[in-house]
Amino acid sequence: MEFDFGYLAAQWPALMRGLWLTIQVSALSIVLSIAVGLCGAAVRVLQVPVLDKVVVGYVEVIRNTPLLAQLFFIFYGLPGLGLRLSLFWSGVLSLTLWAGAYQIENIRGGLETVGKGLREAAFSLGLSPWRFFRLVAAPMAVRVGLPSMLNTSISLLKNSSYLQAIGLAELTFVAIDRISMDFRTIEMFAAICVIYLALVLTLSFFASRLEYRLNTPFRT
Amino acid sequence: MTKTISAGRMALSALAGLGFAFHAEAQSLPPLPEAIKSAGLLKAGVRCDQPPYGYKDETGKFAGVETDMAIQIATWAFGSADKIELTCVTAENRIPQLNGKKVDLLIATLGVTPERARVVDFSKPYRWGGSDMLVAKDSPIKKLDDVAGKTVIMLKGSTQAKWFEDTMPKVESLRLNTASDALQSLKQGRGDAYTHDAATLIVIAAKDPSLRLVGEPFAISDAAVGVRKNEAAWLAYVDAALDRMKAEGLYAKWVEKWIPAEIRPFYTDAFTKPKPTAR
Repeated sequence: MEFDFGYLAAQWPALMRGLWLTIQVSALSIVLSIAVGLCGAAVRVLQVPVLDKVVVGYVEVIRNTPLLAQLFFIFYGLPGLGLRLSLFWSGVLSLTLWAGAYQIENIRGGLETVGKGLREAAFSLGLSPWRFFRLVAAPMAVRVGLPSMLNTSISLLKNSSYLQAIGLAELTFVAIDRISMDFRTIEMFAAICVIYLALVLTLSFFASRLEYRLNTPFRT
Repeated sequence: MTKTISAGRMALSALAGLGFAFHAEAQSLPPLPEAIKSAGLLKAGVRCDQPPYGYKDETGKFAGVETDMAIQIATWAFGSADKIELTCVTAENRIPQLNGKKVDLLIATLGVTPERARVVDFSKPYRWGGSDMLVAKDSPIKKLDDVAGKTVIMLKGSTQAKWFEDTMPKVESLRLNTASDALQSLKQGRGDAYTHDAATLIVIAAKDPSLRLVGEPFAISDAAVGVRKNEAAWLAYVDAALDRMKAEGLYAKWVEKWIPAEIRPFYTDAFTKPKPTAR
């Protein structure tokens, strides 16, 4: 069977609808997971009693269980506990929880580089722990952690393809769904690989721009 | 006098018996193609989640009518029911499994469609299958048209997915990977109805009092064995084997073996009667 561009052209609108959903669910989850990461890292570094143990437990559970199992738990398991989320929000929740755990570690890694001296200087200037975190530690940590945060975000974007398993009509779903009807395997998988590649390269481009901007004070 | 008659009758029935034996002899199969023969066993793709056609029983063993068909072909081809390697296939991966040579034939609730005929060859049909919908017992959906504007759960790549897309494109669909995902989602209220092969839904409805069948058949299609394109000798062998199953009355035997009496008539019809007309 030769490669049929005509078929791809005919499926293009469906692929674009899938892409749009992939972008929505990923963008939302990336933003939310970074928020989770910042909060979780703050809790860890400021050693908030009880909560910091909760964060440690959360990170371990998420990092040591398969994403697909987490997704099925959220989609099929939570309704049994009385919480029935829509397809879209089940997807956002699972990706956010998954990536959030990694973002906590990424940002915490960045925070480790904020020296003890700075901390003592901040406290001696009368900054509260929270203001120290917000004004001194977090901005520095994000700069350092940015490359690994980008890594996690890229993984999140690619892992959004898992959501096809619960029937969310994102990019991979569209491809698999069409393949199961039309059997144009090579065309569809080639198309979505190219689209994912373009998406990730775009994301990397904006992240490197951001990195450049954040480093402005350190450039001579 | 009476004695002579009964002797004559006996002679007649003996003759008839001979005739039958002769007929069965005529069902002998064509030679097995070398490519299959050299493997030494039959690699067959069957369903594992579609009772009563192909499924796994409580002990995890392959079961069902189509599974028995595959085992029968292996028995005829290699002289032993053990000379078979069964692979679970899904609606979504069955054709790739066949064309990727993981299996040599599919007896896997495969409906005959033009799209599929483009990529695989079909044997002659061995039964027909229709579609139906499963809904909650108290659902307002009473007939097919009632799902307009509602969400219908279906499997990716299923006959029903194609049918709804072509016939009722306005219906919202939730497309999942397995029958158990679909059933779970229906019971959790993620869709208003779950559409699939009637044969599968009848089994579920019989077991689960919270659900009922809508009962309007649609998308009637033939089920056939799938083999790779351009394997004419193998296809001829499979066709001959299917003829022999029919001639020897094996379908009725398997239907009786795998299907409880209260839901059996539907399946008996599907294997032995011509298909009905419907949308």
